[in-house]
Amino acid sequence: MDSQALWLTLRLALTTTALLLAIALPVGWWIASGNGPLRALVQSIVALPLVLPPTVLGFYLLVALGPLTAPGRLIIHLLGHPLAFSFSGLVIGSILYSLPFAVQPLVAGFRAVDPALLEVASTLGASPLRVFTTITLPLAKPSLLAAAVLTFTHTVGEFGVVLMLGGNIPGATRTLSIALYDQVQDFNYAAANRTAELLLLFSLLTLLAIYWRGAARRPLLG
Amino acid sequence: MDSASALSRPIHTIQIAHRIGSLAIDVSFTITKPWTILFGPSGSGKTTILRAIAGLIRPNRGKIVSKVFPGTNLERTFTLVDTDMGKFTPAHERVIRMAPQQPSLFPNLTALENMKYGMPLFVRDRTEEEARDQLIEDLMNAFQIAHVANTRPGKLSGGEAQRVNLARARAAMGCRLLLLDEPFTGMDAELRTGLIVALQNKQSFPETSQILSVTHDVAEAFQLGAEVIKIADGKVIAQGPVETVLAEERARLLQQLNP
Repeated sequence: MDSQALWLTLRLALTTTALLLAIALPVGWWIASGNGPLRALVQSIVALPLVLPPTVLGFYLLVALGPLTAPGRLIIHLLGHPLAFSFSGLVIGSILYSLPFAVQPLVAGFRAVDPALLEVASTLGASPLRVFTTITLPLAKPSLLAAAVLTFTHTVGEFGVVLMLGGNIPGATRTLSIALYDQVQDFNYAAANRTAELLLLFSLLTLLAIYWRGAARRPLLG
Repeated sequence: MDSASALSRPIHTIQIAHRIGSLAIDVSFTITKPWTILFGPSGSGKTTILRAIAGLIRPNRGKIVSKVFPGTNLERTFTLVDTDMGKFTPAHERVIRMAPQQPSLFPNLTALENMKYGMPLFVRDRTEEEARDQLIEDLMNAFQIAHVANTRPGKLSGGEAQRVNLARARAAMGCRLLLLDEPFTGMDAELRTGLIVALQNKQSFPETSQILSVTHDVAEAFQLGAEVIKIADGKVIAQGPVETVLAEERARLLQQLNP
């Protein structure tokens, strides 16, 4: 059992979930609060990782964050090390890769809130921020939970982006899915079996948890 | 009512031109009385006018001015909307409260929490706290909702939900103008009478406030005995005391009753 890979995977998934929710809440609220070509464009960009091969995203990030480009060199200059082949680079990649899994449930949840409630709250003197925190967010709580769980499990399960962007550095970028790939390459099927089992059980249990709670009564990817 | 307290009622001047679907609304009127009724058939633009006054829609053209404490040394004028000057005050800064036709209670809050939503979030001292608690108690008694204070909206009857809706709008802080959209629709005469009494009593209707309500019910207009603004096809066709403005409707109603 590769406990280092397990710990790294959990740390990556938790960091990604926390940061991504902070980004997805305002983005999801903005998309849900109107219509128009700009919102459609942003929504399409957010949904891209759903259809794009993860290797494509990984490749672009590798190039953009690596030492061969100007932005990459700037990052190296600022941080003292490149973002590619590092844990921080993986976090950025994971956030982009899981973006639709966090934003889409939130958009669906926010859109499901009756606009008449938001209007009456504003006529009672509530600022847009207060309306959001006291009415919109509590009513969209199941969607928030779905977004968090989906982001977490999706990050645990990602492979292509990590492989392209992170490589295979134990303790820094070697997640469980990479470890599994490695174990198979080494013909170590016993270890691979244990890793695969762990990932399968984990994914099943988390999905069971959200469906059990009824959070998935709303379309998760509406 | 004596003239001194009548002076402290606000005055609202409304000019709205707005196109919604095939209906072109173009109205201009002034609200000076404690209670004024917008009277007109369905689809005549009443709700849209109310929504424009509340700040929920931005009229194509218009000017909405709120003058508070007129004739006293506290008099102040607020221009809420002036499309020519590009001025638009958002709904939450207007101090104009609205009870929509559908109760629209917040489902995640109890009836009491709904009622407190528009009240001050913080109190400065003991006196303010007592005043707030007293107002809550008075309104809950007046609107007969004390027994459902801790109930969520999903478990309220239609009548209870509507009473919480009205009490919530009435309780909101510093209300200068209270907008009621068909507040008594679907209620029996007894409940309606009770609610009118509740809305008109001193605790729930401070003298620094006005009510503008929407109805298409002649009997309700007469029961309220208020100033009536008669609307048809998006235009004001008459304004004045109910006996004058709705005399024709009344005669027709009486004729139907005694043919």
